Formats: sequence, structure tokens, C-alpha cells
Amino acid sequence: MFTCFEEYAATSMLGGPESPPRRNGKLQFSSPWERDVFGIALTLAKAGYFEWDDLRQCLIEAIQKWETANCTQRPPWDYYERFLEALLNVIAASEVLLPDEVAAVLVGKRPIGRSTDDQRGIQPASGHPDWGGNP
Amino acid sequence: MIDDMFRYPDDREAVNAAKVRALEALLIEKGVIGSDTVDTVLQYFESVAGPWNGGKIVARAWLDPGFKKRLIDDTPKAIAELAMPLGMAGAEGEHMAAVANENGVHNLIVCTMCSCYPFPVLGLPPYWYKDPVFRARGVREPRAVLREFGVELPAETEIKVWESSAQIRWFVIPERPANTGNLSEGELATLVTPEAMMGIALVAAPSKP
Repeated sequence: MFTCFEEYAATSMLGGPESPPRRNGKLQFSSPWERDVFGIALTLAKAGYFEWDDLRQCLIEAIQKWETANCTQRPPWDYYERFLEALLNVIAASEVLLPDEVAAVLVGKRPIGRSTDDQRGIQPASGHPDWGGNP
Repeated sequence: MIDDMFRYPDDREAVNAAKVRALEALLIEKGVIGSDTVDTVLQYFESVAGPWNGGKIVARAWLDPGFKKRLIDDTPKAIAELAMPLGMAGAEGEHMAAVANENGVHNLIVCTMCSCYPFPVLGLPPYWYKDPVFRARGVREPRAVLREFGVELPAETEIKVWESSAQIRWFVIPERPANTGNLSEGELATLVTPEAMMGIALVAAPSKP
């Protein structure tokens, strides 16, 4: 039994294909957004917005979807890209964010009408619509 | 063709970073998370509980035989002497126990039931720790498993296998490598790896500059 949520969360993801990259006992992030998305997921689950196991299941499904996709259409493998996809799915399912808010996140900006310093968003990447960021 | 599979679009990092930035900003704006939440929650993994704690404990044990004895006799009490971070408290820290490698005795830690692991001193376990094959073979044929990890022990060396559980989470005090007499306690701590504290590696002496 764990008394620390962080340990429970990390342990529950060990040994399977959904395990986060790590090295020498430490989580391994190759860029700041990877660290941020993992931290956001931990925070939301710890606060009870969804169960960590629900996120884990979404991650397993996101990885399976990538594995079974046509090789010529799917993006190159990126663990935290699949993690972000899973997090947005569990956020939508648990209604932490509204559908239009999730859609806005997918193109890298906030919903129209919200005050923001980042409204210009990003250019959607090419490729499969599910992975290109263009809902 | 194979190159295409591993080609990384130039804007992919920017695209993903923008998505996460938008997500975090929106969650903060809605009051779901705080502006410093991510740093706070990851602090546990980055500065509270991790292998750097184990390195400090082992280095002190190498330098202070009295501390080493107390560490083996009552691990949580001895660790408490070192003013470690808060991550050492709670059930995860209280249930730890140390065993020492010595001439003729090598210790190996496994967990056959689930994935009990002394997180506060070793950090996150490697992928294979939870692998059923490793767990079973670690008990049945530890010498062969160690050989596969590159640890070749003399035939006369006794291998003791310790099974971690929810009640006791073992870690190993590895042997201090030779030719490290001139190193400080801090420098010694950096030599200690999680694998050495699991017993599936030996501590290597620092390579000469």
C-alpha cells in the first residue's frame, strides 16, 4: 500500500508499454513540454478529477492506436505525444474541460473569447487528422 | 523508407509544446490547477525521493563504520540522522531495510509479488524490475541473472536474495570501490547507482580524467 500518490502513480505504470521513460531512477524528459504534461496529469489525478488508472487505460489505447495505424500515415513514435493524446481523452471523458476547450488545446490556443496572450495558436502539423492537431 | 519512419517533423516539438502550453494555461484560468502546480508535484521525483538519497546514505556508510552498523540494525533510525528530505518519511521510508555486500557475500533485491521498491532511496525502478521472468529467475538462479547483468562473482561468493514486500523494502550497501580514498563524501555519493543498490551491479571506481 502506498501513502504517496506520486509513488502509486509511477508504480502503476511500470512494467508495461505505457511506462514513462526513465533513466537511473529518474524520470527522463527530453523537453520541457514533456515534463509539463506529465506534471499536469499527476496533478489532476491527485486532485481527483479522474482516476490515474483511467489515464493509464487511455494511454494504453493511444499506444495501441499508434501501433495498429498504417505506417505511412502515422507520425514517428513519441511517448509523450501519445501521453498528451491520452491525457486530453481522459480530460474530455471526465469533463474537466468542455469539448470546445479540448478542441482549442489541440490547435494550441484557447477558446475564442477568452483573454489570452497566446491566441495566435500554431499551424496544425500535416498527416493524420487525429495526430495533426486539426480537429 | 526506414529513415522516413524515424524522421521527426521540424515543427513537431513546437506543436506539442503549444498544445501543452494552451492546456496548462486553460486549466490555470479555470482554477483547476495553480500556476506552480506542475513544479510542486514533480518536486517529489526531482528533489525529494530519488537515487541521490541512496548515494548519500551509502557514502556515509562507507566512511563511517558506526553509521553502517546502525544502518543495518535499524535503517529508518540511522537515515533519520542524516536530515534527509521529507520523502524519506511515511510508509515508504519507514519500511526500508539495508543489507551490506562484503567480501564473500553479495546481496540481490527482488520483489516476486508486485513491485515493492524503496523509492525514497532508489527512485523509479527500471522496466525489467516488474518483469515476471526477472523476478522468478532472480530467486531461482541469481548467479546466472547477475552474470547477464555483467556481474561475474567468484564461485565461493554467497549470493543472498532478499524479497521486498509491503512490510520491508530492501536496499543494498554495495562495496566501496578500490582507489577512492581521496574522494570526498559527496564525490563518493555520485558513484553509487540505483543498480548497485539493487545488487545487480557493482560500484565502479571513477575513470581517471
